[in-house]
Amino acid sequence: MAEPANGARIELRGVGVTYPGGAAAVRDVDLTIAAGEFTVLLGPSGSGKSTLLRTINRLIEPTAGEVLIDGVDARTLDPVELRRGIGYAIQAVGLFAHLTIAGNVGVVPSLLGWERARIAARVDALLTLVGLDPRVYRERYPRQLSGGEQQRAGVARALAAQPRALLMDEPFGAVDAIVRASLQDEIRRIQRELGTTIVFVTHDVDEALRLADRIVVMAGGTIAQTGTPEAILATPANDVVRGLVGIDAQSRRFAEARPLLARDER
Amino acid sequence: MSFLLAHPGLIATRAGEHAILVLSSLAIALAIALPLGVLVARKPRAGTLVLGVLNAIYTVPSLALLAILVALFGLGAPTAVVALVAYAQMILVRNIAEGLRGVSPAALDAADGLGFTRRERLLRVELPLALPAIFGGIRIATVALIGLATVAAWIDAGGLGSIVFEGLHQDDAPKIVAGSMAAMALAFAADALLRLAERASVRA
Amino acid sequence: MPTRAHLLGALAALPLAACAGSVPPVAVGSKNFTEALLLGELYAQALSGAGLPVRRRLDLGGTDIAMAALRRGEIDLYPEYTGTALLVVLKALPRADAAATFAFIKSEYERRYDLTWLDPAPMNDTQALATTPAVAARFGLRTLSDLAARAPQLRLGAVPEFVKRSDGLPGLQRAYGGFAFKEIRLVDFGLKYAALLAGDVDVVVAFGTDGAIVADKLVVLTDDKHLFPQYHVAPVVRRATLAAHPQIAAALNPLAPLLTDGVVQALNEQIDGPQKREPADVAGDFLKSHG
Repeated sequence: MAEPANGARIELRGVGVTYPGGAAAVRDVDLTIAAGEFTVLLGPSGSGKSTLLRTINRLIEPTAGEVLIDGVDARTLDPVELRRGIGYAIQAVGLFAHLTIAGNVGVVPSLLGWERARIAARVDALLTLVGLDPRVYRERYPRQLSGGEQQRAGVARALAAQPRALLMDEPFGAVDAIVRASLQDEIRRIQRELGTTIVFVTHDVDEALRLADRIVVMAGGTIAQTGTPEAILATPANDVVRGLVGIDAQSRRFAEARPLLARDER
Repeated sequence: MSFLLAHPGLIATRAGEHAILVLSSLAIALAIALPLGVLVARKPRAGTLVLGVLNAIYTVPSLALLAILVALFGLGAPTAVVALVAYAQMILVRNIAEGLRGVSPAALDAADGLGFTRRERLLRVELPLALPAIFGGIRIATVALIGLATVAAWIDAGGLGSIVFEGLHQDDAPKIVAGSMAAMALAFAADALLRLAERASVRA
Repeated sequence: MPTRAHLLGALAALPLAACAGSVPPVAVGSKNFTEALLLGELYAQALSGAGLPVRRRLDLGGTDIAMAALRRGEIDLYPEYTGTALLVVLKALPRADAAATFAFIKSEYERRYDLTWLDPAPMNDTQALATTPAVAARFGLRTLSDLAARAPQLRLGAVPEFVKRSDGLPGLQRAYGGFAFKEIRLVDFGLKYAALLAGDVDVVVAFGTDGAIVADKLVVLTDDKHLFPQYHVAPVVRRATLAAHPQIAAALNPLAPLLTDGVVQALNEQIDGPQKREPADVAGDFLKSHG
């Protein structure tokens, strides 16, 4: 098993998010994410998975319960400092159009006041890590990159300040299947190499099965089941999980293929 | 053309006065419009109120506004600047707010999630991305101010308006033409310069 | 032994001493049409001639701005018309006769604004209707009553305002009846005389002291029912300024009786007509020729 020294341990205790109108997006979630674990929040739209993700970096404040990062209550931390220590990558990427790729990737180190040489070295290292040749991509602007390349740059930007956790909200949803498969392989490889804790939101079952150390199935704002991909497939806990995961040919094929990829590396 | 050629010094002086009026008004107006524009972009209800007030000022006939300002501040260039700043607000605030509202929500979400403070987000992401729209507003406001600044002549504040109005009083076509052409030249120059700046800022 | 501080103090006191000996200039204002500029120059040069330091702030954009500037002390005096003072500033109606009206205006200005009126001039720059001698002869036009009756055969040239103003066409129709023109053509006031002389219109709205009247020998129709108020011009001065410089009255009052309709028309003509002389020059020559 890869040494999880670089990952944060995230605990959610009784976390709930209720909006002023009374609607509850998240209800009573208890979840422990081990350091260095690749956790996938899986569910249909409206299941509360994105909302739950955002409680971890306090983009959304829980109305109930608490979030602990490495044992510290997130509410006691300055939110801006917290977020600079946690990577954040979203589906639309949100690269800053007025900055070069290098400028984008180096943005958090720049906010943290790193000196320029250190930022430049880090940018090059990260671009290489995500498969973008720095010599080619450093000085380009986001509009000059394809969708897949932009997403890679987004991931590089999220990892720039060496965060102990990385939050990803359906990051590969906007690219085609071939690019998506390649990006999925990349993020697995990167996570293995860095040992960062990743919390990854998706509605795509195949993606979840492919990437996760542990899957958290969500529906209606609560957790329906947590477990390894094999466990979810083999013993779905209830109809919700069953309906979501479904025993269809594609899933089974992935379930069978997966052990060959991931198991040996544990 | 004859007046233009016969009195290049006078035209240059008045054009200089005109340019100074416009530039100082623009600078002050921008300093006020930027925070107002941010407010209008961020808070819709306060924003509607602000825009309503500015629009009301904009539609006041200039003669009436000037009379009130003269009663408050007297004659001369500073009063003219106050009037021009007031008129420029409408154009600038609206363009700045629209520019800010047009910034990609994904970029804003990413900025928040990556750990920008609100101020850093404004200065490093929102304003730079809104820059093309802001420059557009500055360009429109500048050309408008060059035209409006002719009223400075009414309150003894100099500028090209005095040449044009003298020409109108005396039915002196060369004077009217000279003053108007000089103003048009200023407007063209300003427009061209600002378009260049706009293009440079759109690199991103 | 004088220290550096003493020397600096003495140096600082010099400009103050110089200022104490000099007099702040009297600021002369004016509105922004030819006759106003001419009168502003006449006043300014007359005051200079009397030994007062003068500063010109001419060409101001209208009555409101001029009054605001005067009340604030940005200017010390400017030429104003009795008719304008009455209708626009005081918003009152004329009294029984010209003398009573003037007395009313003077006392109201002193009471409300602390401003005083010096002697008015006989010139009457009132609204009028003018025509060419040829048209006047052909249609028998001498008074506005004549015009009221003959209007259906004639074309009028006017600015758009005149057609709507209560003291414009509607006022004429109310006071005289008639005035149903065959045609009304809208002309800018800079071009109206050209239109009249070219025969595009038969009658134009004019001001009593327009230069073109004497230049083109136009006939101004008599206001036999006295509809239009009198517009005599006089200097309006801040009382404080007059108290500080009583010579102002002595310098400007002698000017008043000299400014008759004919004289002012001729002076306006030099500025607006083909010669296109500067108001300052025209004013200067006039003052020189009258001592």
